[in-house]
Amino acid sequence: MAVQTEALMTTTVTNRRPGPSRLAARAVAAAPLVAVLFLLPLKSDTFGHVAAYAAIFVMVGLSMNVLTGYTGQISLGHQAFVGLGALTAANVVSTGVTPADPFTFAIGMLTAAAAAGAAALLLGAVALRIRGLYLALVTLVFGSVFADAIFTLPSLNGHEAGVSAYRPTFISSEYRYYLFALAMVAICYYIDVRVRKSKVGRGLVALRDNELVAAAFGVDVLRYKLLGFTISGAMAGLAGGVFAFWSQEFSDKDFTAIAGFNLALTFVVVVVVGGLANRGGVMGAGAFFALVSPISPLLQWVADKTHWGTYYGNNKFYIANVIGAVLLLQTVILNPGGLGQVIRPFARWFAGHPFTLHDPDGDAGVGAMEGSSVRA
Amino acid sequence: MSVLEVRDLTIKFGGLTAIDGLNLRVDEWEIVGLMGPNGAGKTTAFNCITGFYKPTHGTVYYRDREVTKLPPHRKAALGIGRTFQNVGMVKSETALENLLTAQHTRAGYGSLQAIAGVSTVRQREKELTAHAEAILDLLGLADIRDRRIGALPYGTLKLLELGCALATDPDVLLLDEPSSGMGPEESDQLGERLLNLRQELGVTMLLIEHHVPLVTAVCDYVYVLNFGKLLAEGDPDHVRNHPEVVAAYLGGEAPDALAQTETPEDEPPADEIAPADAPVQRKSAARAPRKATGATKKAPAKKTPAKRAAARKEAS
Ligand SMILES: Nc1ncnc2c1ncn2[C@@H]1O[C@H](COP(=O)(O)OP(=O)(O)OP(=O)(O)O)[C@@H](O)[C@H]1O
Ligand SMILES: [Mg+2]
Repeated sequence: MAVQTEALMTTTVTNRRPGPSRLAARAVAAAPLVAVLFLLPLKSDTFGHVAAYAAIFVMVGLSMNVLTGYTGQISLGHQAFVGLGALTAANVVSTGVTPADPFTFAIGMLTAAAAAGAAALLLGAVALRIRGLYLALVTLVFGSVFADAIFTLPSLNGHEAGVSAYRPTFISSEYRYYLFALAMVAICYYIDVRVRKSKVGRGLVALRDNELVAAAFGVDVLRYKLLGFTISGAMAGLAGGVFAFWSQEFSDKDFTAIAGFNLALTFVVVVVVGGLANRGGVMGAGAFFALVSPISPLLQWVADKTHWGTYYGNNKFYIANVIGAVLLLQTVILNPGGLGQVIRPFARWFAGHPFTLHDPDGDAGVGAMEGSSVRA
Repeated sequence: MSVLEVRDLTIKFGGLTAIDGLNLRVDEWEIVGLMGPNGAGKTTAFNCITGFYKPTHGTVYYRDREVTKLPPHRKAALGIGRTFQNVGMVKSETALENLLTAQHTRAGYGSLQAIAGVSTVRQREKELTAHAEAILDLLGLADIRDRRIGALPYGTLKLLELGCALATDPDVLLLDEPSSGMGPEESDQLGERLLNLRQELGVTMLLIEHHVPLVTAVCDYVYVLNFGKLLAEGDPDHVRNHPEVVAAYLGGEAPDALAQTETPEDEPPADEIAPADAPVQRKSAARAPRKATGATKKAPAKKTPAKRAAARKEAS
């Protein structure tokens, strides 16, 4: 009986074709989103610059989504992959004082992804038989040692002065570079979707939930863990490549010591606050944390309006961390589904379903947070 | 040729010898039972056969090929399917997604193709979904297609798990207490289902089961383990009247099972379990005398090992 009523409920919810009035409602709701996404960056270079930074964080969010959300592995060293991508792109393209030519630029982006993917494969191999706290520790040490050892090599970091990375002329404006960054987001998004909709993502999620079950289903658990690390690392490396040409230089100081650690923590917070294994939520959280980061003028602008400007200016590094910590606690204690869970009713509405807070797919990804009881 | 053979299998955990010199054989199209009181080592035997545990000693053969040391996913790909005693499925996924996941080795495309999203992948995904839906229909579980499995009742989970094991395209299926969480009626149904599966798909089975009527109804041959050692073997009627088996269960914790063993009048005769209008599905019809050559045995209708091998090749 219970099964039947449930079936009835799900059939009534699948009304996928909204009429004209509903379409209009959705268009009105989408308008502010489009304005924020495209008009603001077009009108203001500052905002275009920040929006491109947000796009980079969204890419890293997707990278973490594959590793932590799907594969269930934690990484406290992800800044190393982003940094390695940035270093590789900057050094491969090696612009000097002239803009990059588009072809070398493309090669730079590809090698950035490849180098970081290879580094992540290495970390994966180290991490294969380690779990939980120890895995977190290993990735933490890997990230900081890797960054400190490689990024500070004088021949790779421009002898401490930084390696310049001038954008190709066709994307040299802030707005155009932002559009380029969005295109790179689209690539990561596509890969994430393909992973999730194929045996790759199913294998990763299976091993995340229970390695024994995954193996019984024929998933090569070791190989798939490595695959999860590699895909994630390549995405992070691509994000790093975009970052190098966003800041127009590679500087080791962005990724080593406290700056690097701060990034690593933010990335983990993004994936948890966004919602484990929730693509949309993680992308939203990535953009959010880029916007409240110390380099973003957004909070400064708000603070100025409310006469807290000086206070914010003096404390913006701490404030970004406090926001992260508060949201992390809020998520873990009150809202394990994360931002993705919160926005799901709206996302479903946009996709053509009637608006409802009752959500038949509500507990998606929750398994990522729980252990499993099956034993061999 | 045996489908599965275990020779002199021993496994020790520290000081405990969980299995001690076990010999066991499963022939083509047989359904073989593995019984024994709690802690006898049945699940451990499954884990050794499927590669989850490394035996201290002894060998496992699959169709005369030594597979003792193959890792579990390779054995799954070979056609050794299994279920877990306490339900092994991906908790955060829906029933359909679990059935898709279980078809991992027969997906028919590589991981790079998957990421690139080439059209073969989309085509194959449609076929995998169709196959998953066919399994749901076969087990009468079409209703729960899109339900996350976390909230389903245990008996349904056990049945769905059987479906997942089938989705791995097994040649031999190892089922760990498939009827647990089911009432007597459901478990009778399960017996019919297992016989049907053998008939339709040609699957050979090894079955851990406490429920004696089910064992009697479906098994061609039964092994009884106690404290890691083989206590008795033979056809179900022989084994359940075996004095040492009765004693072992009395000392153990299976009074229900024993009660049913001792009072056969409570239990329907095996032949009544299969519907009378489907005589070929009955145990007596599909079953051949143990140690007879394959030729005397009634072959399942659909899938022969040769066809299976061909299908497997096609898929890869
Ligand atoms: N990984 C392990 N480490 C240590 N001891 C184990 C391990 N796995 C099984 N054992 C022990 O081996 C013995 C056999 O256990 P097993 O689970 O195979 O019993 P079983 O016959 O399946 O019993 P049940 O009917 O309760 O499922 C038990 O004493 C158990 O504690
Ligand atoms: Mg057991």
